[in-house]
Amino acid sequence: MTSKRTLFALLAAVALVQSAALLKMVYDRHTLIKTGREIAIPVVPVDPRDLMRGDYVTLGYPISPLRRSALPGGDRVAKLNSGAAIYVTLSPESAGGWKPVALAATYPPDVTQGDVVIKGRVQYNYGGDAATDANANLAVRYGIESYFVPEGTGKPIELSIRDRQVAAIVAVGPDGTAALKGLVIGDERHEDPPIF
Amino acid sequence: MWGYSKRLKHDLTRWREAGWLTADAETNILSELASSGREVGLASSLGILASILLAFAVVSFVAAHWQDMPRAARLGLILTLIWIGYGASGVLAARGQRAFSDAAILFANAVYGAGIALVSQMYHIDGHPPDGVLLWALGAFLSGAALRSNPAIALAMILFGVWTAMEMGDSGKVHWPFLAGWGAVTAAFLWQRWRPGVHISGLALTLFITSLGYFLSEGHAHEIVALMGVAVAAIAIAALKFRPELDTISAPALGYAIATAFAGLFALQFVEETKIAGLIAVAAITLLFLLAAIAYGLWHAHRGALWLGYIGFSIEIFALYWKTLGTLLDTSMFFLVAGLIVAALAFLATRLASRSQAGRAVA
Repeated sequence: MTSKRTLFALLAAVALVQSAALLKMVYDRHTLIKTGREIAIPVVPVDPRDLMRGDYVTLGYPISPLRRSALPGGDRVAKLNSGAAIYVTLSPESAGGWKPVALAATYPPDVTQGDVVIKGRVQYNYGGDAATDANANLAVRYGIESYFVPEGTGKPIELSIRDRQVAAIVAVGPDGTAALKGLVIGDERHEDPPIF
Repeated sequence: MWGYSKRLKHDLTRWREAGWLTADAETNILSELASSGREVGLASSLGILASILLAFAVVSFVAAHWQDMPRAARLGLILTLIWIGYGASGVLAARGQRAFSDAAILFANAVYGAGIALVSQMYHIDGHPPDGVLLWALGAFLSGAALRSNPAIALAMILFGVWTAMEMGDSGKVHWPFLAGWGAVTAAFLWQRWRPGVHISGLALTLFITSLGYFLSEGHAHEIVALMGVAVAAIAIAALKFRPELDTISAPALGYAIATAFAGLFALQFVEETKIAGLIAVAAITLLFLLAAIAYGLWHAHRGALWLGYIGFSIEIFALYWKTLGTLLDTSMFFLVAGLIVAALAFLATRLASRSQAGRAVA
């Protein structure tokens, strides 16, 4: 069998790889949240529970259902299957909030000053070619649909925001990856402090 | 193991009474049997169960999202527990307690999974949950293969399965990358020469192949499942005959192939909308196949084939009765004919048996 020395070297190597994998996850998110472009998008919350990560609030975004036929680039994403990456260009609205202005299957090369490109995954893709089908719709997930909260606080949060304006604070990285930083409920900003 | 010792005790008594064995020899064999690690078996089982319980404590701690402990401290706790788990494993292995060392490795891997959950909770990551399970499976596989720890490799197989089930549930399509994970884990099991691993691999592949019937060609590919099962069964039987030294693989493979073939045949009859003539044909083929499995099991002392044949036969009969072949009268006719054929086979079998016994008596 392996000697004691090799054994401990192997054990340390495995522990190191697993720790590094976790810290890499943390580092990537930390960087994204620190350096990503910050945008606020209005949301509607509901409250379920995840098996391993506890209570969370599900956030519904107005930019998640997209009318393919009404947007430039809709024909270029007509053939995307569920699970495929999609890039949605958002433009700021005067009333606050962001509205989708273009769709693409790859990161668009030229983005108008002030616009932001956010990367999502296609959940459903209905209808045929954009040119012929007026009701071609897309459902997109951006990976920012769950806000995890301490046990038992999901319902109160949901109740407290029932009649107030809620927006998600989202950091968008240079490749379009989005990270959920926190929520703005009414005028209060709820955000987890950075861990380092 | 228990089945073996029970049978051996029974046989030893018989052999002693027949005068083939002295009473001393019987006592020696029995004491050797008793000392060959029944306690170790209990201790290692308890060790694994304890590590599973501790792992669930960590997972629910993460899920509780306890605010009084800062997130950085929770992350630090997870990382510390991983290192404690591997450290304890090393100390236990150095003391020769391999089973406890494996339990510690399993614990560390569970904490690693809890860590992935913690980070995605901390940063509200809602991307694509199967990706997290894949990261966990890869970590468990690395740890199991590098440290040659069977429970961790088995955990990797379970996680590759969960990953595949989630992907297939998401997309509604067959998730072929499963085969890469399955192949890697199976290779590790074979390298370890761990027999329960062969069964874990067999079960995982049986489930995957059976699922193909529900996902390929818009959910109507059950005949492919049945044919694959029959083909693998034929290969396994050939292997058992011509390469008997490989029976640690081919014997379990035969059992899982029978289960796969039956799952496909069952779906063809009771999941698909089949016309009555087709249903009777497939039902007859299924019963023949199951009888063949029982016959093979009896002739070649393959308990898996025997029991799968019996269990499949019972399920098949009840399902047929439940579905009814056309009218109840037609069903009755089908069972009558089938019953008469099997009774004739039984009669033939006794004739064969008595002839071979007579032959032995003459010799």
